[in-house]
Amino acid sequence: MNISKLLVLAIVLRLLVSALLFHPDIKTIAFQTSFLKRGVVNIYPYLINNKAILPLKEEFVYFPLTYFTLGGYQAMISTFLGKDFNSWLQDAGANSVVNNPNIFKYLIFLKLPLLIADLAIAFILLKLFKDKKEGERAFTLWLFNPFTIVLIYAFSNIDLFAVLLTLIAFLYIKREKLLTAAVFIGLAVSFKLYALLFVPFLILKAKNTKEKLLVLVIPLLMFLVTIIPFWSQSFLDSALLSGLSTRLFGPSFTIGFGESIVMGLLLMSALFFAGFVFDHKFHLFNYFVTLLLIIFSFSHFHISWLLWIAPFLIILVVKRPILSLPIFFWAIFAISIPLFYSDRFMTISLFRIYTTWYDMLPTPFLAIQKFYDPFIFQGMLHSVLAGISLVIGYKINKND
Amino acid sequence: MTKFTVISILFLLFVLPIFMLLPIKMVPSGDQPGYGDMGRVSIYGTRTFGQEFISKNNNLMAVGTTIKNPNLKNKKDINFKLFDEKNNLLREVMLNGFNVGDGDFVKIVFDPLSGSKNKKFKFVISSPTAGEEEIIELFLIAPTDSVLSYNYGDEIKEGGIPMVTFHKSGGVLTNVKTIYSNLLSKL
Repeated sequence: MNISKLLVLAIVLRLLVSALLFHPDIKTIAFQTSFLKRGVVNIYPYLINNKAILPLKEEFVYFPLTYFTLGGYQAMISTFLGKDFNSWLQDAGANSVVNNPNIFKYLIFLKLPLLIADLAIAFILLKLFKDKKEGERAFTLWLFNPFTIVLIYAFSNIDLFAVLLTLIAFLYIKREKLLTAAVFIGLAVSFKLYALLFVPFLILKAKNTKEKLLVLVIPLLMFLVTIIPFWSQSFLDSALLSGLSTRLFGPSFTIGFGESIVMGLLLMSALFFAGFVFDHKFHLFNYFVTLLLIIFSFSHFHISWLLWIAPFLIILVVKRPILSLPIFFWAIFAISIPLFYSDRFMTISLFRIYTTWYDMLPTPFLAIQKFYDPFIFQGMLHSVLAGISLVIGYKINKND
Repeated sequence: MTKFTVISILFLLFVLPIFMLLPIKMVPSGDQPGYGDMGRVSIYGTRTFGQEFISKNNNLMAVGTTIKNPNLKNKKDINFKLFDEKNNLLREVMLNGFNVGDGDFVKIVFDPLSGSKNKKFKFVISSPTAGEEEIIELFLIAPTDSVLSYNYGDEIKEGGIPMVTFHKSGGVLTNVKTIYSNLLSKL
């Protein structure tokens, strides 16, 4: 199949998932970012101060750049969506939201920025490889794997913008343009904090002190420039120190007297110093992948985080076909873990557009609870994931 | 991988929803009405609650509503009796407060009543052995097209509890037809 036919098929699949599967986050974010077109610039205190009168009470947990990107997009498309769109955004009724006759149109339009970023990633993967066939394989694998389609379009995963920018940064790293890469990492951090974890490894990759300093300062400065105008207690509580941002450093073991060792941080620092002391070739790609494998092995991750590693795993499958099967199983286990969280919208409630009768079904968490402890089951899945991560991490670092 | 992905996604979108219908043995007649601000009534001892309602469909087989069990103190029997318009006892169900959380949506399930469509029924909820400290509470709402009137103690008033009736499912094929016509209606 040629690229244009593949693209058409890929887009059709994506539009179907966009229209038929609904996670309420997309509506909550659309409601929150809709205030930009009404002139609200600083969304963080606005939502908190007006909580009592707003139909949806959630705080805006993303960074300002997300607010302006999605808010700006919504301002552009609002005219196409008609005046009922705003009523739908304000609707807090669990059933009336999914029974709205325009829901397909709303969801497709709201997920269009994801489609653009998704296709952009496919084309970057195509360009990333010197070998044309490898590029085409990466392009096809990105467009045609069920994991990313579900992660992006069912869960309305806006982490995709940071993923796209990180991949662009990686493209520039491959071209030995570290400063440009640092700019894109800075942009990615301004969407999602996780990209900041790549910065120490950029420093290792930099050739001289000046470059090392710049690849540190550029992303930090870009991030600070985008958040400082919004700096307030409400911003700190809602976005910067929200549970999701800090969850990365959750798992730890105590060493007494109130002190504890944070597992993820321990391994990340070990990775950094191993690169600093032992590695002279320094393939940044391996460090990025290993870093992300550490995160997924040792944190209670949100399903949307899985996208962070997705393009890198595609590259790995193309470059090291021997790892295809372990990576496939890694993806199966990784996506299974959140499906067993006690959250209806991880599974059954995604289908509420079909019918709200599904509300009567138990979640996988509750179904397992009838005969086994679901937390232990999740722990087992996560342990297997950590085991596979260990093997993949070992393999990619050993060979280089 | 392309074929695998296309098949996986089509399975997810068009086959899995059908499998998910298999365990559904009853379907709601609509949405549960909002609680409103008409207060609550307590049930214990001789304080019982009666509700007149209309079943919107045939094969009525459950009544669902929100029940408060403050501090989970009620661990006594909760009786549910369903009567027809002529006050004939049709069904009787016994729950235990031990299984009712505070604010739970509770479905009281009984054998299906065929020919229940558009017929008037009455149910009475009581917890005769519960003391004053072991109350359960029901929310009150204004009358709707199916919630008609209630009696609490000696009072008979319009309205009732935010209830929803459930009806025996018409089978998988009927359910599939219903959900896909629901989807198509949104196109």
